[in-house]
Amino acid sequence: MPLVQKETSTGVPVSEDDKALLGVPGGRPEAETTTQVVPDTSRGERRRSFDAADFPVPTGREEEWRFTPVDRLGVLLADTGAGGDLTWSTRLPAGVSAREIGAAEARELSPMPPADRPAALAHARSGGALHVDVPADAEIDEPVRIDLRGIAGQAAFGHLVLTTGRHSRATVVLSHAGSGAVSELVSVVTGDGSDLTLVTLQEWDDDALHLTQQDVTVGRDASVRHIAVTLGGRVVRVCTNTEYAGPGGSFDGLGVYFADAGQDLEHRLFVDHEAPRCSSNVEYKGALQGETAHTVWVGDVLIRAAAEGTQTYELNRNLVLTEGARADSVPNLEIETGQIEGAGHASATGRFDDEQLFYLQARGIPEEEARRLVVRGFFADVVARIGVPDVVEHLMEAIDAELALSMGPVGTGALADVVTDATAAEPVPATS
Amino acid sequence: MSTIEELNPGLKDLGRYEYGWADSDVAGASAKRGLSQATVDDISGRKSEPEWMAKLRAKALRLFDKKPMPSWGSDLSGIDFQNIKYFVKSTEKQATSWEDLPEDIKATYDRLGIPEAEKQRLVAGVAAQYESEVVYHQIREDLEEKGVIFVDTDTGLREHEDLFREYFGSVIPAGDNKFAALNTAVWSGGSFIYVPPGVHVDIPLQAYFRINTENMGQFERTLIIADEGSYVHYVEGCTAPIYKSDSLHSAVVEIVVKKNARVRYTTIQNWSNNVYNLVTKRATCAEGATMEWVDGNIGSKVTMKYPAVFLLGEHAKGETLSIAFAGEGQHQDAGAKMVHAAPHTSSSIISKSVARGGGRTSYRGLVQVMEGAHDSKSTVRCDALLVDNISRSDTYPYVDVREDDVQMGHEATVSKVSDDQLFYLMSRGMSEDEAMAMIVRGFVEPIARELPMEYALELNRLIELQMEGAVG
Repeated sequence: MPLVQKETSTGVPVSEDDKALLGVPGGRPEAETTTQVVPDTSRGERRRSFDAADFPVPTGREEEWRFTPVDRLGVLLADTGAGGDLTWSTRLPAGVSAREIGAAEARELSPMPPADRPAALAHARSGGALHVDVPADAEIDEPVRIDLRGIAGQAAFGHLVLTTGRHSRATVVLSHAGSGAVSELVSVVTGDGSDLTLVTLQEWDDDALHLTQQDVTVGRDASVRHIAVTLGGRVVRVCTNTEYAGPGGSFDGLGVYFADAGQDLEHRLFVDHEAPRCSSNVEYKGALQGETAHTVWVGDVLIRAAAEGTQTYELNRNLVLTEGARADSVPNLEIETGQIEGAGHASATGRFDDEQLFYLQARGIPEEEARRLVVRGFFADVVARIGVPDVVEHLMEAIDAELALSMGPVGTGALADVVTDATAAEPVPATS
Repeated sequence: MSTIEELNPGLKDLGRYEYGWADSDVAGASAKRGLSQATVDDISGRKSEPEWMAKLRAKALRLFDKKPMPSWGSDLSGIDFQNIKYFVKSTEKQATSWEDLPEDIKATYDRLGIPEAEKQRLVAGVAAQYESEVVYHQIREDLEEKGVIFVDTDTGLREHEDLFREYFGSVIPAGDNKFAALNTAVWSGGSFIYVPPGVHVDIPLQAYFRINTENMGQFERTLIIADEGSYVHYVEGCTAPIYKSDSLHSAVVEIVVKKNARVRYTTIQNWSNNVYNLVTKRATCAEGATMEWVDGNIGSKVTMKYPAVFLLGEHAKGETLSIAFAGEGQHQDAGAKMVHAAPHTSSSIISKSVARGGGRTSYRGLVQVMEGAHDSKSTVRCDALLVDNISRSDTYPYVDVREDDVQMGHEATVSKVSDDQLFYLMSRGMSEDEAMAMIVRGFVEPIARELPMEYALELNRLIELQMEGAVG
């Protein structure tokens, strides 16, 4: 009798996608050759490439896209060839230079290739990059300002390269506003022993789509503070990846976000500890208000076997102000060596404490004012650590404006300034 | 690779046999290696099961075929589903003898101080083990007076079909995941427990008491129903390593905790380290009910196990205490899952893991707060201890909150055993191994104290064994 091979042990047909995974009578020929079955054993194994073709168009089922409304992002994910390249306007203090460079040079200056499709497209479609350089030993007190305005109805792609020389010190403020759809790759390489504060402000109009990948290579004994402030936009996704070029580097990732109805604000961080005796410290705080407000925070930390003496901590706090909002918070930690100083993370989501509210009201503070104080207090410690005075001031105003949406306009009483004063008065020095 | 179907072309026709399974002595497909409809029909036929169960098994097998392997977690590519025996008669099991066991397992048995008779029982499940039989009957009589049903799952289906049918698959449907589907298709053995309203079962019920029945199956299926206001503590497994020649263990445990009832389920898993241990455990909690999982993972090559509690009624409470040890070549991917589906529910997860000798421990958890589950509270705490340079520890907590009025906290720390701690203990005359074992014992103590005493003692001995040679 001839042996009839059925497709499955039960004779039920199997879809082409599942074939590799299912055991079929006669062995699993496809399964032997496919690598799909074996999950990544660490976060560091994810693909990185300048070629957009290496990244399939996301469907929303992938781990790195599962929280993102990918159906809205078609224009930034499809390689249609449409759309222009981004133009940044810069205000440079003396000593800082900016110039357009070609794509090949941009790739050479960026040690960390794009980690997802929009970032690869951002590089490919920008046809070069803007290169901002802080020379070695320069100490720049005035912030370097790089402004980007999106234009309604337009999709734009851009690559920004920021390099700092050894023992330099600078503050860079990258602000985003306007409308349209923007995909951006920001490559930051800091020199040995340098000190950089990079603030990225996302204050888009309500219909803007913004995907940005910000890669930071921390030099030997260098210190980098990356501060993400996301307040506006329909869909905003900020992916921050950090690597260390040598021992002794430190990375502080601070973030503040405030989502209203209809907004999807996502922050993903990945700190890859490969060099010994480096530290990373991540603190993100977010508030949500309104139906369908959605925030995502994903903090991945990988400590590789060689990264002895690593110290890392990640913290995410979410404050849900009204019903229907959703906060996803996922801290992941992978550790491949026992010789670490310490590692940990914490995540908490809740609504604000009614007891605090009661306490303030019992002291004669009207409810609205009290709520505002509680929210300001929630953000205060992370805001205070930003340490760039005009950003801090602007941010507290913006938070008040956000709160005014759900609670009416800011009171004119003296209390409104309490928190701003407190935070502005204590500029925190850059951590070593 | 040639499979059973290729080698035995006639086997395919077995499934089409129209007249039922008249002669159970003929070795059917299920006693051989490989999975097919014939395997499933044969298992069902041997047990003379009702038709609905046979149909459910067939449906589950189709679901198993369709479901993909998990694309996350551990590397499961070493499992060859066509090279596994899906049903082994109890008489065949007893063929294993003490001599057949690998040396390291024998040594561990000796070190744990397990008596000779006990060894025989653990190794072979000796049928005529007089003492345990007596104990079992004694306990069963006491329980029966109160109306408690405590039998193996096959007996449960035979003797209490209506109750069984009402709840079987109600907590973990056949299509829940690939391995739940596999278990539903080929399950055999496990425990079936029903506790009537208001009954408190004072002693922990242990699978141990009825070892001679089909217990240590690869695909056991446990169903526990705690009726309103009742309490039961079930203990599964034991601390001695269980050697199995077959490399896949895929159990399903379903627990229904009714209003104001409380169930505690304790597992200490110590499979030999060739076993893929892929287990689905889930409980549903009605109003005011409490479910507690105490989950210890010591053995196996790969464990993927995330005991879940679905909090369906107001004021329901879920708690998971989990400890995992991963030694050389082991990956313990364990954790917990809490789904808050009603207001005022609370959950807590405490996980402790120790990795050594190149082993890998992962905490993987999910806390989900559904819309409407306001005033819910959840805390997750996971601590990992690393004792050398080559081991690995991961933490993957997921939190999904869809309601504003909740309190949610997660915290994780990973630390190494500090030289100061070791020095302190060694300066008091301990060897480095002893000092290390003591630190590890202290680390897991919050969970060890929740175990029944004899288990806690054995766990301590196991830690000592595990930590031997851990410091170099």
